[in-house]
Amino acid sequence: MSKLVGPAARAAVLLISLAFSLPRAAFAAQATQDTAVTQDSALEAKVRDVASALRCPVCQNLSILDSPSQLARDMKKVVREKLAAGESPDEVRRYFVSRYGEWVLLKPKASGVNLSVWLLPLLALLGGAAVVWTAVRRWVRQGATATGTPPPTEESFSDLRARRAGLKASIEELDAELAAGRLTATDHAFLKQRDEAELAVVNEDMKRLRKAQPGSAPVGAQTSPAQADAPRATAKRFRVPPALGWGAGLAAFAVVAALSLKESVVAREPGGSITGEQAGAAAPPGGPFGKAGPLDSLRITQLEARVRRDSSDVPALVELGHLYLIQGRFKSSADVSMKAVQLEPDAEESAEAFAHLGMILFSTGEIDGAMKSVDKALFLHPDLPEALLYKGIVLFAGERNMSAAAVTLQRYLEVAPADANTARVQGMLQAAREADSAGTTGRR
Amino acid sequence: MRWRRWAIPLSSLPLLALLAWGLTRDAHTVPSPLPGKPAPDFALQTLTGDSLHLHDLTGQAVLVNFWASWCLACRAEHQVMLDVAKRYGPQGLRIVGVVYEDTRDNAKQWLKERGGDWINVVDVGSHTAIQYGLFGVPETFFIARDGRILYKQIGPLDEASADKWVPRLLAATSGGPEGAPAEGQTPGHVQNAPAPRE
Repeated sequence: MSKLVGPAARAAVLLISLAFSLPRAAFAAQATQDTAVTQDSALEAKVRDVASALRCPVCQNLSILDSPSQLARDMKKVVREKLAAGESPDEVRRYFVSRYGEWVLLKPKASGVNLSVWLLPLLALLGGAAVVWTAVRRWVRQGATATGTPPPTEESFSDLRARRAGLKASIEELDAELAAGRLTATDHAFLKQRDEAELAVVNEDMKRLRKAQPGSAPVGAQTSPAQADAPRATAKRFRVPPALGWGAGLAAFAVVAALSLKESVVAREPGGSITGEQAGAAAPPGGPFGKAGPLDSLRITQLEARVRRDSSDVPALVELGHLYLIQGRFKSSADVSMKAVQLEPDAEESAEAFAHLGMILFSTGEIDGAMKSVDKALFLHPDLPEALLYKGIVLFAGERNMSAAAVTLQRYLEVAPADANTARVQGMLQAAREADSAGTTGRR
Repeated sequence: MRWRRWAIPLSSLPLLALLAWGLTRDAHTVPSPLPGKPAPDFALQTLTGDSLHLHDLTGQAVLVNFWASWCLACRAEHQVMLDVAKRYGPQGLRIVGVVYEDTRDNAKQWLKERGGDWINVVDVGSHTAIQYGLFGVPETFFIARDGRILYKQIGPLDEASADKWVPRLLAATSGGPEGAPAEGQTPGHVQNAPAPRE
């Protein structure tokens, strides 16, 4: 008996656990599918992040993200595989460093000798600041000695010279009188000291006068103290500009450098061109879908988080579809838009998702499918501007039904707020009307 | 104030030293972290359809040569490889060609025209090339009997390098750190790198 209980019990346990695990597995599969889209874009973002910091071995200063070379593409694939396998970005970077050396990192580690790259500019900046500081201080001091001390006011230069000659003669006379015995040593010493002190003062005055008016003959510099004060005051006001000018110049340079650096080291938008806005670069994404803004990426991250929390958040899915479309990420846009219309096939809020799907289908050449999709969008929301615009484009460029295109585009211009698209749509409307009246309507 | 006279010339000395150091170096040498490390293992299909596991060659002296039929330098190198195979093959040297970013047919055609009877494998997706930190073709790795990389030749292998390194490869019995680092190559400074798969 006990022999039979064993297998039976085991079978029962197996069945029970199967019964529990089946729905859970099914649920897990559903959940995986739901989050696949968002996980996918999160992984892609990580791949971009890592790949943009790894140097392509066969290029000149290109990351493997930017390089179109085969090796770079293969390396990017390795990055994706490793990240998908659960390795951290740091581990992936370390792997490439272990194969190619630190050379492979476009931004070397800030340690060891590399640290000098970070520290030297700082030192140079500090050194430069010190040089500027001392130079400015010297100028200020020179300005002070040139204009700050009052010139000897009582006497002119020639008066001073005469006084000096008189004092020198007086000292010589004292010496002669001492030698002749007409003066005691004590008196001689006292008188000579007095004359020498006066001589020193005169000498100092003459030196100062010479410095104050270099070149020009300092004759008759008879100025009263009040008059001398006036130019000193103006000089004081003029002394500030050099320091202020240098300071302002440095500050402006720092601001410009910081701004341009911030501009040039910013990460490229997904799908952005390597050459930036230079000639030859691909047209910025947008086109008829609207303009990609810098805040879109942020909004996408927010929406992706919302969808991750609640995979049936239709408004989030619809908006996400719009933003992906603007950025030219057709596959991601199709995925989330499809999800939205599957969740709410007959709700008005899904109209926009149908419009997006229509535009994506049109871009793949599926004109009939595109037509059906935009018509469904307009059925759910008759005056949805996006749907009108996309339908107009499909009619104009796909079906070449000019009269219908003209009607739809006209309606779009009536309901849509004027924006960057307006002029383009007016051009298209004009072309549709001309083609219509010229009788070239119909399929070719 | 006398120090001022020397301050400016003296301050330029470090800069001059840096320039002297930088300008007298070969800008093309990139230190590889691989010499001295175990050769990354690979299992790839040969041109004849068999499978080759590098691990199976442990205990032998091996040259792993990355090449492609579209590579001009590989053409010149092929003569050297033929010569190396003829001279060192009988002494036990094994040569493994790894076809890089090329088709099986191109590689076969090339070998038919130019000769060479050593094993050639095809590296689909360049996984092995990346494992070996390849910059381009041709590159040749000298793998000692203990499975460690003794030396890495970037660019075509020439007679002088072959005659210098192949005898060392054949002589090194159990290898070890004795063989590495190779001249002109720093063994690198890999921190916390994952151990290469053996």
